[in-house]
Amino acid sequence: MKIETTLSGSFPKLPLEPGAPNVRVIRNRMDQGKASEKDLAEATRETTRRIVALQESAGVDIPMGGQVAWDDAQTYFARGVAGFTIAGLIRYLDTNTYYRQPEITSPVSWTQPVTVESYRMAQGMAHRPLKAFLPGPYSLYRFSRDLHYKDPKDALAKVGEAVAREAKALEDQGAEWIHFEEPWLGRARSEEAALVTAALTPLFRGRKAKTVLHVPFRSPGAVFGAIRDLPWTVLGLDLVESPEAWELLAKVPAGRTVGLGLVDARNTRLEDPARVAKEVERARSERPDLGWQLCTTASLEYLPVDRAAMKVARLTEAARLASGNGG
Amino acid sequence: MPRGLWTTTVGSFPKPPHLEKERNQFARGEISADDLRKLERDATIEVIRSQEEIGLDILVDGELYRGDMTTYFAELMDGFTISNPVRSYGNRYYRKPVATGPVRRTKPWTVDWWKFAQSQTKKPVKGMLTGPYTMMDWSFNEHYPSREALAMDLAEAIREEAMALVEAGATFIQVDEPAISVRPEELKLAVRALGRAVEGVNAKTITHICYGDFDVIYPALLDLPVDMIDLEMANSRYDLLDRFRKHRFTKEIGYGVLDVHSHRIETKEEIKQGILRGLEYLSPEQMYIDPDCGLKTRTVEEAREKLAVMVAAVREVREERGITA
Repeated sequence: MKIETTLSGSFPKLPLEPGAPNVRVIRNRMDQGKASEKDLAEATRETTRRIVALQESAGVDIPMGGQVAWDDAQTYFARGVAGFTIAGLIRYLDTNTYYRQPEITSPVSWTQPVTVESYRMAQGMAHRPLKAFLPGPYSLYRFSRDLHYKDPKDALAKVGEAVAREAKALEDQGAEWIHFEEPWLGRARSEEAALVTAALTPLFRGRKAKTVLHVPFRSPGAVFGAIRDLPWTVLGLDLVESPEAWELLAKVPAGRTVGLGLVDARNTRLEDPARVAKEVERARSERPDLGWQLCTTASLEYLPVDRAAMKVARLTEAARLASGNGG
Repeated sequence: MPRGLWTTTVGSFPKPPHLEKERNQFARGEISADDLRKLERDATIEVIRSQEEIGLDILVDGELYRGDMTTYFAELMDGFTISNPVRSYGNRYYRKPVATGPVRRTKPWTVDWWKFAQSQTKKPVKGMLTGPYTMMDWSFNEHYPSREALAMDLAEAIREEAMALVEAGATFIQVDEPAISVRPEELKLAVRALGRAVEGVNAKTITHICYGDFDVIYPALLDLPVDMIDLEMANSRYDLLDRFRKHRFTKEIGYGVLDVHSHRIETKEEIKQGILRGLEYLSPEQMYIDPDCGLKTRTVEEAREKLAVMVAAVREVREERGITA
């Protein structure tokens, strides 16, 4: 049975080949007044084209656009939603990367599409349906500073609604897959289950696109009861950073699909595809009643571009072996 | 008369624009290593002079010869290679160490720079190192079977350098661990690794920690086996003091009063208020007043102005409270 492959978020923006369009160089030149927004848009397009082509030539079944215009996983979206302002840089969880902290300063409300245009641009370069990326509402709220709402439940419901409206806008543009990134589900305590439900419920209401609820880094075991029965298409788990997430496989309802995050997006050490395939087989033998995808544990932007490209190749090779086509 | 409220900085100073340019020229092969070293030494002399003029009590070399706080050390060690650039935010990239074999110190990393800086002043200059937990956490690991194994080998190497600095005459050794606060579940490992790094180091030992999940790691943080813990206080609007009220802070503290992420120059009054709030829970003998973190992201002028206001604020508090340095 074929194991589909996908990435879990963004891809390094730097080119593999010297001399190729480079958004970093263009942004530096813009700072010096030597390049324009138009140059940046062109470099962004070419970088997206490269990222999509790399995935397609490696055989990734559900590629992503790479989020070339995003500085981090939250602010690109939050900046476009009423109620958020963007404040200072802080560390992104336990990574040595940073994000600008969104602040909720007035009622959160979605007024217009934020990510649709860049999604459409990327999809126009692809030969397969691309998976769109959105920050999950629970994490978007936890990454933010709430200076407006008195009750987090109210805030989470509104943030959930805003993300859901964006998902609908993506659907309307033809997005067949939408990835919701939820690292904070791995840090939520069991007493926060009701908050998780308040945030995530709007996401799946009337949803036509297939959805991935992806939890990088830590196991969402403490709030698994709140997410288990939501109508996601795929639940993505990070089985490298949190091996304890394996235990959740036993609790996934029959007939659902799990995204096995077995290709480590945070370490340059390259996986042996045969070993990854064995891990897939282990999951499959433990739960023959589930469907499976194989994915990276998190965004590949934690890696230098050369290693990220190698990881994509290992991912698809492991899936090929696991699918029984390894010769 | 009580003593205390000594002034210092966390480590890095902004590189003057000409030095940034010269480092780029060196990277492109346009100037030699000797040329760059001379320029870095000249800039270091400037930083020492500037600290003396401002009136700081305990100085640093400014780390103008370093790029990244992990890569600098990794490049000088066996067992590391350096990755292609990885993005940290926006358009900022850095090259990350990759542990590809057993990590070892085969030569001094900072001793010559420390000697040079100390030769420029009669005031004490701190020896500045990056800690084993942070070096481990901010590196890729392709060799070791576990995070712990890499951290403990790094601790051995860092201890050798700390010992060499003390032998050269350093009386303050700072081993920075900014990564400690983000994985509370690994605090015990961090304590063990830092403990090994400073074991037998006959100097005042300090570690700098960035803001993190203090609800989880405090008061366990006090188990860190150093004399002084340097903390960002201003960045969190001094809310750590509330934790000190509930559980006394038992070590010496590097008490951060300057927001290093902001261009704004703090007022003397707000710094004084921050120090006075600290004195409600801490004794002056415990307190070393400094910026929240390294100053390398500020301009040379901003850094100088911020520090000058800080020293002026400390002088007024000392005078009002009858505290001597």
